[in-house]
Amino acid sequence: MLTTPHPVKFPKHANNHNTMANSNAQHWSFDYNYGSQNPQFAQELISTLRGYNPEVSDRQTQIGKTIKHIYNILPNYWRGYSRGDTDEQLSLGTATIERNIANDNLWHYSVQYENTTSGENLRMQFRCSDTPFRFLTDSWCVDARNSGKDEYSRLTCAGHLTSDGEVKLRINDTEIVAGTVGSPVELTCNWALFDVIPALGQTIQASDNGIDITLLEDLEQLRPKSRLGFLESIQTPIPLDGYYLYGPGLLPSYWWLDGYGNVVIASSMFETLVLRERMG
Amino acid sequence: MRERPNILFINTDQHSWDALSAHGNPYLRTPNIDEIHRNGTSFRQSFCTDPVCAAARSSWATGLYTSETGVPFNGGHLHPEIPDLGQVLNASGYKAFHCSKWHVPGRDVRESFQTLYYGRRDIGAGGAAYYDSASTHAVADFLTSYNDDDPFFLQIGYVDPHDVCEYLHNHEEKRIPNPIEQGIVSEDDLPPLPENFDYDERETVLHRVCRRVDDALIHAAILKGVRDWDEFHWRYLRWNYFRFIEKVDAEIGRVLALLRTTGLAENTLIIFSADHGEACGSHQMFQKFTLYEESVRVPFIVACLGDGIAVEKDRFDETHFVSGVDLFPTVCDYAGVNVPEAVQGMSVRPLVEGKDVPWRECAYIESNYWGRAIVTEKYKYVTEYKPREIEDFSPPGPEAEQFGLAQLFDRQKDPGETENLVGNASNDEVVKMCRDKLLAQEAKLHRQEIVHPSPKRVISNWGERLRSYWEHGR
Repeated sequence: MLTTPHPVKFPKHANNHNTMANSNAQHWSFDYNYGSQNPQFAQELISTLRGYNPEVSDRQTQIGKTIKHIYNILPNYWRGYSRGDTDEQLSLGTATIERNIANDNLWHYSVQYENTTSGENLRMQFRCSDTPFRFLTDSWCVDARNSGKDEYSRLTCAGHLTSDGEVKLRINDTEIVAGTVGSPVELTCNWALFDVIPALGQTIQASDNGIDITLLEDLEQLRPKSRLGFLESIQTPIPLDGYYLYGPGLLPSYWWLDGYGNVVIASSMFETLVLRERMG
Repeated sequence: MRERPNILFINTDQHSWDALSAHGNPYLRTPNIDEIHRNGTSFRQSFCTDPVCAAARSSWATGLYTSETGVPFNGGHLHPEIPDLGQVLNASGYKAFHCSKWHVPGRDVRESFQTLYYGRRDIGAGGAAYYDSASTHAVADFLTSYNDDDPFFLQIGYVDPHDVCEYLHNHEEKRIPNPIEQGIVSEDDLPPLPENFDYDERETVLHRVCRRVDDALIHAAILKGVRDWDEFHWRYLRWNYFRFIEKVDAEIGRVLALLRTTGLAENTLIIFSADHGEACGSHQMFQKFTLYEESVRVPFIVACLGDGIAVEKDRFDETHFVSGVDLFPTVCDYAGVNVPEAVQGMSVRPLVEGKDVPWRECAYIESNYWGRAIVTEKYKYVTEYKPREIEDFSPPGPEAEQFGLAQLFDRQKDPGETENLVGNASNDEVVKMCRDKLLAQEAKLHRQEIVHPSPKRVISNWGERLRSYWEHGR
């Protein structure tokens, strides 16, 4: 269901572009408001956030109904990433996460990630248990397409979990083992964290050192011993609760939730996903 | 071995020699690069030609030192008449492919190689988070579909752990609390400060002006941010650096797995190296651009996952000095291709096969156009050329009268390079020996005047600053 656009309530100063451009008021984990970027990062972040409507009822859990979050991808990359025309938009692309619970009592995810810098567009499809951890089940698929002008144009990667915890990937017609998950086989995908963190927020906040999870990053890279923890709560640009994620082979990322359980900002070293639109 | 093997050159960016678990580092896990090591020979005395991306990569591409290539820093421009490895291989029946980072200014990679993937926005200096995974996809697509009768040469230029530069840039304009304050990690999670966190205050003028003074020529904004750091910030830098390496190690793991399952492993030679290292807190320094060990010493491993190519496995070569200029002739040797006469490097193939052959006695390194170093088994000698009073654009050397300040370190007693032995009369003979080696090496180089306006501007601006420092101490 498409919700009616409804502006987020920002503090007064946050609506003042000049103030935003000249201040360093945003949180360090997603404030890349350097003078070298034009348009300014914080300004772009605020204007993106204005588009989504947080004040909707609880998440839709009716079978077959789709929940959809669309994120604007903003660059965190200092000033060196190649942008060509200086009038170009700051946005690097879009990430869209759709999911619904089906008759099989599993969550069916469809994620699309389009990055205009790498040129790679990823379509990821996977199924998860209807539990707070959203454990991956049976099989999944990544369809990667390159919009750049070089020889690589498309790759499909189909993955599945074996009963003894092996993560297998079939790339074209070649199968490799991406790693082994310990017993019990409890594995989730980073793209399911947009639901896992809201579901486990209170648990994470109550724990001293966070909780451990095993991730299959982008459905291809196994990241065991990853840790989710609570960072802090902030009031700017809107009230948000912050969480961190890191682990071996995983640089820290920061996940900021509004009071309605939406991951509004997800920030890592090079990119910040900013919620642009929510449906369902 | 089939008459000519496939050759896979996997390189990472800004990856110090000791930042591998196979090389004894306990603060990270690199099971996949370790696998390359287990299946090959790893050179302990391996050095880049110049500790910055474009310069070092111009040596990989040409087999020449950076005062010869026209790329003595990132803003250089490869002399157009110098042949590159792709051109030489393509002309000799090999199919030369490139994937990901190239960064040899002045040469269009797409004209020398078939490019599997180079980004929609061409890959520049950094951006591993955008490009590395896509690069692996491109390589996976290639390896699972290659069915040509001709052997291939494929170079994969992974960008990580170069993203540590972006980590640093993020500290330029704001204070990021240390991770203990953030509650993200505990002190026990962080690697310790390096033992050589202190530094020699008698560094060369070039080093000071480029990297230490408030208005340093290179990344002064980071320097300003770093000055507010406490111990935990430095340790967190190291922690993050190791995570970047684990990330790229995982990418390499998929490539190795595909080599095995496609059957290509048996007849594919793997060369693994990095363009330069990362200071990572040593000498209270970050990034590269210096002639200290962490910045210039890089992995260089030659391996084969199968038995089809004669390679001594799971072995360290302790003694032979290997340089970035050696990549070109090594590839040509395995490929059975003639090496252009001007190439300075030597093929490491005989060493990998365990043969005793005449070899160089030291490594020679250049930095920031005027910086020079000689590394022998026992000593490292670092010096600089003073900019000439009358500006010109012929790379300096060999000109003993133009030498500026110098540093001498005993590599065996002081591997952290903290005690500068220059000035102690008892070391004068050693200094002279090192200077002689340096001058002798430089006499072998074929320098050309730099004519491209972009590097000329850099030389002009930097030279002016250096002359001012020599004349006025600032």
